[in-house]
Amino acid sequence: MFPVKPLKPTFKSYLPPLQTEVKNSPQPTVRKLEAKLLPGEIVVNEVNFVRKCIATDTSKQDLWGKLVCTNFKISFITDDAVPLLKFQYRNKLLGEHDIPLTCIEQVVTVNDSKRKQKVLGSNQKLKFNPTELIIYCKDFRIVRFRFDEAGPESAKKVCLAIAHYSQPADPQLLFGFEYVGKRYYNPAGDKVNGVDPAGGGDGGGGVEGVQTPLFDRSSDWDREIKRTGGSEWRVCSINESYVISLSLPEYCVVPVSLADQDLKQFSIFFTGQRIPLWCWNHPNGSALVRMSTIKDMVQQRKLDQRICNAITRSHPQRSDVYKSDLDKSLPTIQDVQAAFVRLKHICVIDPFEESDEKWLSSMESTHWLEYVRSFLKHSAELVYMLDGKHVSVILQEEEDRDLNCVISSLVQVMLDPHFRSIAGFQSLVQKEWVMAGYRFLDRCNHLKKSDKVESPLFLLFLDCVWQLLDQYPAAFEFTETYLTVLSDSLWIPVFSTFLFNCPQQRAEHSREFARSKNIHLGDEKVLQFPSVWDWSQQFTAKDQALFNNPLYVGKSATCVQNGAVKTFKRTKKNYSSTLRGIPSLRNGLLSEQELIPRRNSLVLRLKPEFSLLKEPQESPSDQYIREWFSKPADLQGLILPQLLSSHIKVWKLCFLRWIPEAQINNGGYITAFHKVSVLADEIEMLQNRLRQYKGTPSTPGGSPETERCKMYFRASNLSDTPPTPEYLTSSFPFSPVGNLCRRSILGTPLSKFLSGAKIWISTETLANETL
Amino acid sequence: MEEAPRFPGESIKAIAKDVMYICPFTGAVSGTLTVTDYKLYFKSLEREPPFILDVNLGVISRLETIGVQSHGENSCGMEIVCKDMRNPRFAYKQEEQSKLEIFENLTKHAFPVSNDLPLFAFLYKEKFPVDGWKVYDPVAEYKRQGLPNESWTISKVNSNYELCDTYPALLVIPTSIKDEDLRRVVAFRAKHRIPVLSWIHPESQATITRCSQPLVGPSDKRCKEDEKYLQTIMDANAQSHKLTIFDARQNSVADTNKAKEGGYESESFYTNAELTFLEIPNIHVMRESLRKLKEITYPVIDEAKWLSNMDSTHWLEYIRLLLMGAVRIADKLESGKTSVVVHCSDGWDRTAQLTSLAMLMLDSYYRTIKGFEVLIEKEWISFGHRFAVRVGHGDVNHTNSERSPLFVQFIDCVWQMMRQFPAAFEFNELFLITILDHLYSCLFGTFLYNSEQERVKAELHTKTVSLWSYINSQPEEFTNPFYVNYENHVLYPVASLRHLELWVDYYVRWNPRMRPQMPVHQNLKELLVIRSELQKKVDELHREASTRSLSSSSDRGSSPSHSATPVHTTV
Repeated sequence: MFPVKPLKPTFKSYLPPLQTEVKNSPQPTVRKLEAKLLPGEIVVNEVNFVRKCIATDTSKQDLWGKLVCTNFKISFITDDAVPLLKFQYRNKLLGEHDIPLTCIEQVVTVNDSKRKQKVLGSNQKLKFNPTELIIYCKDFRIVRFRFDEAGPESAKKVCLAIAHYSQPADPQLLFGFEYVGKRYYNPAGDKVNGVDPAGGGDGGGGVEGVQTPLFDRSSDWDREIKRTGGSEWRVCSINESYVISLSLPEYCVVPVSLADQDLKQFSIFFTGQRIPLWCWNHPNGSALVRMSTIKDMVQQRKLDQRICNAITRSHPQRSDVYKSDLDKSLPTIQDVQAAFVRLKHICVIDPFEESDEKWLSSMESTHWLEYVRSFLKHSAELVYMLDGKHVSVILQEEEDRDLNCVISSLVQVMLDPHFRSIAGFQSLVQKEWVMAGYRFLDRCNHLKKSDKVESPLFLLFLDCVWQLLDQYPAAFEFTETYLTVLSDSLWIPVFSTFLFNCPQQRAEHSREFARSKNIHLGDEKVLQFPSVWDWSQQFTAKDQALFNNPLYVGKSATCVQNGAVKTFKRTKKNYSSTLRGIPSLRNGLLSEQELIPRRNSLVLRLKPEFSLLKEPQESPSDQYIREWFSKPADLQGLILPQLLSSHIKVWKLCFLRWIPEAQINNGGYITAFHKVSVLADEIEMLQNRLRQYKGTPSTPGGSPETERCKMYFRASNLSDTPPTPEYLTSSFPFSPVGNLCRRSILGTPLSKFLSGAKIWISTETLANETL
Repeated sequence: MEEAPRFPGESIKAIAKDVMYICPFTGAVSGTLTVTDYKLYFKSLEREPPFILDVNLGVISRLETIGVQSHGENSCGMEIVCKDMRNPRFAYKQEEQSKLEIFENLTKHAFPVSNDLPLFAFLYKEKFPVDGWKVYDPVAEYKRQGLPNESWTISKVNSNYELCDTYPALLVIPTSIKDEDLRRVVAFRAKHRIPVLSWIHPESQATITRCSQPLVGPSDKRCKEDEKYLQTIMDANAQSHKLTIFDARQNSVADTNKAKEGGYESESFYTNAELTFLEIPNIHVMRESLRKLKEITYPVIDEAKWLSNMDSTHWLEYIRLLLMGAVRIADKLESGKTSVVVHCSDGWDRTAQLTSLAMLMLDSYYRTIKGFEVLIEKEWISFGHRFAVRVGHGDVNHTNSERSPLFVQFIDCVWQMMRQFPAAFEFNELFLITILDHLYSCLFGTFLYNSEQERVKAELHTKTVSLWSYINSQPEEFTNPFYVNYENHVLYPVASLRHLELWVDYYVRWNPRMRPQMPVHQNLKELLVIRSELQKKVDELHREASTRSLSSSSDRGSSPSHSATPVHTTV
């Protein structure tokens, strides 16, 4: 038994606070605990008198409430306030204790008096009444509920319902369909939680009204060609209605020298009929192209030659083409998945104290950081080809749907500052992932059909971007909170962005669903799922301000506004006129001024020996990278990652945010972020004041007020800096409270209890296995 | 060729041309080597810009002749093993007189103490506008803490260092203790280091006291006066009826000590006291750990095994133990409102590490530049951390087993705290690195000698310059732009390897590939410059506008934004 006998629920815990009576509230004094439902959401099963575990070592802080399973989420509804919680970052689509069903990795039921436990799959039987339910989440949370005082049968039913509904048999059973379908029944558009389910169906407002091009129409591609100056490339529409390839978008970009007829001919020889896709153009004319392998051995050489010739002809200098075979140079998606499973294990399953001593070795043996490094390294080498050698690059991967997505986007993030702005980054994900046919549905394993297809490649990409952000904190418009929230959005099954394997699949399921529900799609041809880029669906404007990086010195000078195309300039641009005259950053080296020791300076200053550093057999790309590092970096130009093992770090905000023991109270990077935000806000304020004095209107596109909303932490006034808020922790804006409950069972740490169960991978039953 | 730059008081001892420096990172380079009484200075014009290597002699641990085959005529080699994680190597031709001379001079001046020469600090003649020796005034510091009060007194009992020769002249001890009882306690504590107050909590009056181990011995000797003394310390704090004794050592080691004269307080004799072992290994283990760290970081790093190699040095593991111990002490005072006694064997190594770290967590004053200087002066220098022995200033005997990088370890812990609380410290990383560089350099008197008594005898304050004179003359160099005063905030760092990192900018700074990443504070400094420029402009315009509105007869539109004509149309 548990050392602490759980307290019986009292009536008190179900009564609203006394003040309501004092206030003479007209509402009834006893409120029923009701789940808040989104349009299309229905309650499947529920059970009362459930305890949600909060702390690891005591049950005193546990919350009493009702556990509900809907077709969208597990919802725990309680009137109790979460203890120890000083701050909360709310998602508008989810309640405080909710877990979307697609976020569930594993459902484990336990009966501790019978000493039984079982990993529940879909359509399974449960031979005991669970006293406890443990939900392992894809975002690393571990949430536990206890049923000591709940009706045993209802508890069991809820557990079975959760197991069943978290493993839908068909994509159309994913909640997004019902959610969007509702819009067609109710065109008046009833809003829930202030959210219009269909709002922003085509890209949405995005942060501060920036439109993210979705690349589902030829005009988006056209603009991208113009932006990057790829004049020898054209939009091709041979795949309209997906007649050529099922996994390619309807519109793609090809060399002007290749006619539609040729491409149609070629396509049959490529894996998945995926003809080569243009990704990006360097201002020097070099192009980045991605393609699948040529299946037909007989045609291979000839076809290769024709493709390369065409790409060469599209280069102003007629430069060569460099082909990079990613299948041969990088870890496989299975390797990445295995590393991720191990990473998850050491982060949240292993008991904190015991595993701490060997943390570094354990981290090394997961290979996660090694893989992050190898993707960054490979990308940097291709940057050298495009930028240093002025040659076009073809990324080749068997299916062109996994590794190519990571590498092509990383290369572009390094080379093009546009993709380091929020709108640019979002368009990059659309272009290289969503439209290019990255199998979000399979890789996320939303249907939990097969573990073999699951791989966290998108998260790996975000981690690589985080490493760049960590090394160049002023080069990105967004913050690590943005990247983390984006990774969490993978597990909310309502966004068109992450629900499908390719645009064609979305279209097909749309049609089928529409037919079965008698929905008329009209001209749109597809169901208008919301895009994840419409952040207002998930967060308030205030909360979205946490995405904005106060250190960002770039300006999205390259974005396309109101259809007008601005030319893509690579000249060094400063954030504002006031920045001119300020010594620029010197690439991590001390600035020239600082290199000259001032009088009395006794500090042992390092000489910049890096440029002299020579390896015995230095490759040209190493030399290129070394030379780049010896010069000051232009954050509005190319950035390259530092690639020593000591430079590649654990993304703590993403991977350790739920671990109470790892949380630094009143500390963490966020405390520095707070100070910079306030400063940035003050600067904004001063600039506005200056404009007022000069009598010029404030910046186009916004009043001074909206302009100032950029920062989450605001300056109160200019004279004194606000104190660092007490609620800041290294996990901010997330909180470990109630999100990682690893309490031992019968004195045995949970990890040991479940060892051998291949936790996180296997959904095999451990039926009736006694402890 | 121009001469090597020198400090006031520094003189050149020898110069040799055509010496080859074998740089492990950029290859061999030939140039001129100068040896002064403070440093060796190598300059080569073969490269553009000229290649310069500047190593102060204080940092040299040992000089070794090595064989160098692959460098042509330069068949003789010399390796300079340094205390700061590098080993520069030189090669030269065998027979030349000037070469022999320069290395003779190097050997002589690198180890002045062993050659009956003064340490360079006594020759250094720089003048600074601020006198760093005035930074620490024990009476002022105790007054800041609210002392003396009714329970605690500032005693002059040790003013001639007769009671304890490794303690400072002024000690804070319980008011009620009688002199003859004190003598007995003195006799019962190793090296006479009796429990004395380090810090008192401003609200609860819970205290941190420090001492050495009791001389219990194998026969379980008792000392009633010592027991009573600790009881008095407990009674001075009305908030708790407990006293916690933190013994920094490993329990097993404390037992070994008990078998020979030493030992620890028995809970059955010291009623109301609870004894906790913090299980921190001794100075020899720490020395070995840093040696291993040097092995894996200099000059070559094994990329594939970087993390597991780090693990195998245990360096971060020991940092973790220290921080964890200090967190427990701080938490006992803050949350438990309970007084603590901290000791190890002699009470000058691990004890100093733990008390100063706990004080840094508890008292935001010590997180300022001035406060941190006071903390070092007080807990380390005045309380007799044996800097001369642990560092081996000017001493040729590099195998001395008393050497150990305990102070480096402490500064590393401080750096780890800075990483976790980037806005809580007034000083920056450069401040910490500067302190560590001058721990070895012997340029300043600050870290010389083992005790206050020795320093007084050597007239250190009049004959040498304090490191704080240099630092406090240009505080802006050492200020953290993120600093927000966390007054009355207790900081509990997370003592876990998930957060602890190797301090690459210190330990691996000689490797140019480990160059520091683009520092965020640089960006912040830029923003600060922008803000002050803007502020200036706004103020100017505001002034202009107000003079204008004063001079104009009509007083409509006093707000500049409403004025019909722009105040200033040109920029």
